[in-house]
Amino acid sequence: MKETSPSLQGLQSWMQNALIDPQQASREQIEGMVASSSRLNSSQRLAIYQRNYHIRLLKCMREQFPALCHALGADLFNDFARQYLQTYPSISYTLSDLGKRFPAYLEETRPDRQETSDKRESWIDFMVDLAQFERQLFVMFDAPGHEGKPFANLHSPDSCLKLQPCFALGDYRFPVAWYYHEVKQNNDPPFPPLQRSPIALIRKNYLTHTFSLTGVQYIFLQALSRGLKIEEAIAVAAREAAQPREQVYRSWAQAGSTRERWLEACFFIVGD
Amino acid sequence: MERNGTGAIASLPKLGLGLGLRSLHFDQIIEQQPAIAWFEAISENFMDSGGRPRWAIRAIAEHYPVVLHGVSLSIGSTDPLNFPYLGKLKALAEEVKPAWVSDHLCWTGVQGINSHDLLPIPLTEETLSHVAARVHQVQDFLERPLILENPSTYLTFTQSTLTEPEFLRQLVEETGCGLLLDVNNVYVTCFNTDADPLAYLDSFPWSNVIQIHLAGHQHCGTHIIDTHDRAVEPAVWELYRLARSRSQGASTLLEWDGNIPSLAEYHAELLKAKQYMDENGKPMAIAEVSFNNKESVSTPVDFLVPEVMGNTIWEQK
Ligand SMILES: [Fe+2]
Repeated sequence: MKETSPSLQGLQSWMQNALIDPQQASREQIEGMVASSSRLNSSQRLAIYQRNYHIRLLKCMREQFPALCHALGADLFNDFARQYLQTYPSISYTLSDLGKRFPAYLEETRPDRQETSDKRESWIDFMVDLAQFERQLFVMFDAPGHEGKPFANLHSPDSCLKLQPCFALGDYRFPVAWYYHEVKQNNDPPFPPLQRSPIALIRKNYLTHTFSLTGVQYIFLQALSRGLKIEEAIAVAAREAAQPREQVYRSWAQAGSTRERWLEACFFIVGD
Repeated sequence: MERNGTGAIASLPKLGLGLGLRSLHFDQIIEQQPAIAWFEAISENFMDSGGRPRWAIRAIAEHYPVVLHGVSLSIGSTDPLNFPYLGKLKALAEEVKPAWVSDHLCWTGVQGINSHDLLPIPLTEETLSHVAARVHQVQDFLERPLILENPSTYLTFTQSTLTEPEFLRQLVEETGCGLLLDVNNVYVTCFNTDADPLAYLDSFPWSNVIQIHLAGHQHCGTHIIDTHDRAVEPAVWELYRLARSRSQGASTLLEWDGNIPSLAEYHAELLKAKQYMDENGKPMAIAEVSFNNKESVSTPVDFLVPEVMGNTIWEQK
């Protein structure tokens, strides 16, 4: 290493590896690459970068998944996040993508992944669901939206209603939205029991609102997000939920029901 | 040889004393329009935004001069330049019309990976020609001069043959790029690399300095960490006195990225700069500051991650 200087490319990939996995860099290599100073030797100087790389990115992960961090406790969360960053280092110029692959990573590395779903640990399911929910909120925060433009109102005909652009659906095995907002209120919620929790997320005035849904409402909104009209989505929901079409229509349209509430909540814009 | 160089640099405005644009101050700036001369926005916080940050920077750029300061250009990397990134930067610049666009003399990663740190480059002739070629490419693409900042460094490479001021002087001659001189980084780097900050400033290519950064740091005894989380140290103010005079009044910006104070407190710290705008710019003695062994993280980046929880509402029904 001393005789010939590595190329710029060689030096950079060596240093990067030494940051991501500090065990990889031997003392001889470090001494060949990094000069010592009057106060610190080569390894100590490199160690400043090594520590900072991990501290900085773990802090960003905790801030992208605050409720999951609360659920696991900071130490266990840091362990998972450290392993995640070693398997999937950031490949994006923006830190907003840092947690993008984390929910999938938690699922693919679960120790019980060989078991059938009924034999799996339910707290891991909860962890994966919560990570997905937090990622979804993170994406909604900065996604293109409809702020500054008009939403549909109670007088807009059904045939023109279209879901607004900053809209998402989630179908969770646990009440993750409830859990998340309990953490937000500085409560210390218990792990919630298994309970299917379909939700809709919409952004209005740059605030992301979470609505819990019934199973039929979820099917209905799923159909709308595939581009179907209200009338067609009602037919789909009635068929899939094995309910009479009139009943589904009534629960949509009658005074004080879904249509009114969702229009007031800015679910819809007027389509072309 | 230079294409978007010195002519363009000379015409850049002198903006006075500015602050970093941080999301917790958005509402106050937009609603009250406080008398702050200009703002520096972190490009990556806004270039992909379809939400509140993009709305805020548009509103703020209508009333204040803004400059764009990036952390992901990675001008020193041996990976190819990221043109999709540059395309978004250019689109953002077309929208907010910044007075200039800056980034750092560093690399952030290779093989497609981003460390999200400003990593040091070996100061060699090889690196110089590599960086110069890329500065040309970036300036041609953005159709404006690139402004590069000296980073804080914590190590030197055995193969380095140039000092940082020499490297920057040759880079400026080759490309006509502008410079953002961070006087806190000068102090930090010089301490960490056994160099003399006054000698550093003596050999700096002042003609192309268009902006100065000020920031707080943490002294850990054996090294100094660039933390951007506290007030500016007296020794750094003394370097500022010199830099302000040598650069003939370059636009000045106070960075504050961790423990961010209220806008009023932040602005008050910035306005201390007025005490250091002497005509002759002779620094007082540069004293060693007291230190504290508990190490904080360098150049914190968590302020780049939006605080999402505060913007969520649970509609219980
Ligand atoms: Fe800086």
